[in-house]
Amino acid sequence: MKKPDFKNLDIKKLARDFIHGKPHEERRLGDLYIPGTGLYKHREWRGIKDTMYYFNNIWLYNYGNIVMDLFRYSNGNPKVLLQFLKGTWRYRWMGQTYLTVLHWFDRGLEGLRGEALKASAWHYRALVSASLSQIVGMFMRDANIGGDPELRAKTMAHDETVWGGIFYPYKDQMENIPLQMIPYFVTCHCNNHTVLNYIDSIQSLGLPGDPCPMCQAESGLYVEDDMPDFYPAYITTNEACDGSVATSIITDWLAQKPLFAMPQPMQFDDDTVLENCAKEMEGAWRFTEEKLGVEFHWDELVKNLEAQNELMRFEWEKWDVDANTPYYPVNGVAQALYRIFQSQYGERWIWHQVDAKVRKIMEKCVEERIETFPKTRHRVIAWSCAPLYYSNWCTWAYNCWGLNVVINMDSLMFDMEIRTDSYENTLMDMAKYHEMAPMRRNAVGGLHHIFMLWENMERFNCDMVAMYDQLQCKGMQGVVGLFEDEFRARGINAFWVPHALPDKRTVPRSEIRQIINDYMFTVMGEEPLDPTLLDFDDSDSW
Amino acid sequence: MRKRRKERKARRRRRVLGRLIGIPALIYGGLFAVFYYDLDGKLLYYFVEPFMKNHFDRMERRDPHSVPYGQIDDEYM
Repeated sequence: MKKPDFKNLDIKKLARDFIHGKPHEERRLGDLYIPGTGLYKHREWRGIKDTMYYFNNIWLYNYGNIVMDLFRYSNGNPKVLLQFLKGTWRYRWMGQTYLTVLHWFDRGLEGLRGEALKASAWHYRALVSASLSQIVGMFMRDANIGGDPELRAKTMAHDETVWGGIFYPYKDQMENIPLQMIPYFVTCHCNNHTVLNYIDSIQSLGLPGDPCPMCQAESGLYVEDDMPDFYPAYITTNEACDGSVATSIITDWLAQKPLFAMPQPMQFDDDTVLENCAKEMEGAWRFTEEKLGVEFHWDELVKNLEAQNELMRFEWEKWDVDANTPYYPVNGVAQALYRIFQSQYGERWIWHQVDAKVRKIMEKCVEERIETFPKTRHRVIAWSCAPLYYSNWCTWAYNCWGLNVVINMDSLMFDMEIRTDSYENTLMDMAKYHEMAPMRRNAVGGLHHIFMLWENMERFNCDMVAMYDQLQCKGMQGVVGLFEDEFRARGINAFWVPHALPDKRTVPRSEIRQIINDYMFTVMGEEPLDPTLLDFDDSDSW
Repeated sequence: MRKRRKERKARRRRRVLGRLIGIPALIYGGLFAVFYYDLDGKLLYYFVEPFMKNHFDRMERRDPHSVPYGQIDDEYM
């Protein structure tokens, strides 16, 4: 760390830095880390206003609301505390992972100031609250820790890429909880230490190491016997590649519960495929009605779809500001995680609460012309599937290089409203929405879909592409060369971000940074905004 | 005598007021120190996580090979 020169202290500058925070180029954020751990010697001083905002409205507020959410999502049942403790003690993905949740905020919000800090933090708040709704839901029902059998009898579990909206017609009679969203997906972002156990455990059964590590980890949860028993039946899908069909086969073997498979078609532009997909959705409804003893309520379906459409319309407003102005107050990682979680999990009260807060912030930014990311040198679109263990790479990229990731592929996948004027139209739109699942909509859903990058690059006024390269995704590996050719032919600045989705051992975070550093130095000929962030050791970080 | 009683009352009031303000201020200051010096992160990283990890590593788990294979699901299409 650079030692302060006490002889030549500039008191005025010190006072200014204390009150307003240091200018971007003088922050030296890399000096704050304890090597290897990702912990901070001390958290960043962002000036009085922003530091106190972070302390009061993010750190204290979120610790407090985590406790409040436990009661909110259990309808004030005091048993929730006991169930929460039992679940924390029983499941590795809970006890070793989610206690570190405030560091997830820290990593994603590093360096942010003012309205960008506020809006991005609200997105994280929604992610935590929506995660807790599932955690509480699972633990209150879980037979492994003495959960309530009556609640369990009215709960449908499903693969995390089965859209929660499938269950809207029954929302007043039952609960739906994704199987892997909390035990697998969110853990990788929050604390990626635990997921490695699940990858290793499925390989201990003899599975080779090269299939998609997402499929491996999701199956590994069952091999490790680390999946709560909160459901009488469940619905699976080929989420959204054929590798994960194996996940369903292993889940079917080890869960020993009735299963309905509702695949996502590979080539989804064909109308006959859509009709078949709609039939499968109706099959899923019949399965739900038979297994849970619930009835189809059209009004309930319409109510929830309309509420979801409202979320979509606000997202379009956000994208409009994001695409056409420098006043968009949400950073790359908050944008990506919020949108994928919201559009996949489906309608919940927390999304509306957070959208109302973000609307106020965004409108203020537009009205007062507040440049939220003033050090932007390049507007970047991130394409394909992101590294879950380093979803906050874009926060680093902005702080270090001024690379502002304004939009990403997963945010754009569910880009539609759903009609509610008739059963037929609603069913067809719901089937279409289901088809546009993560990884299917733009990644492994056909070449013309993955090449929608070009039109979105234009739509969001981007001048650079961060192209994710999931090394164990056979589908995406097949198009690497095609992208290389297109980048050259179109004269697009693009760098590759190789990764293995949840598994940080294959491509460590430091290697991802090094690749971007090399690109920025050698191809772009630029110098970093904060050189202390070029190289640091966070190998054992959460 | 009255004056002394009054003074004692005023002193007590000041003490209560001091505690009412001082204790929350101390707690708030303490929490800020925990926040600023990332003491929550350090506690979790160096103590809680290794403890929980050991607990989970030692936990007895079901042998997946003991689960029979071959459940047949009904048709719903």
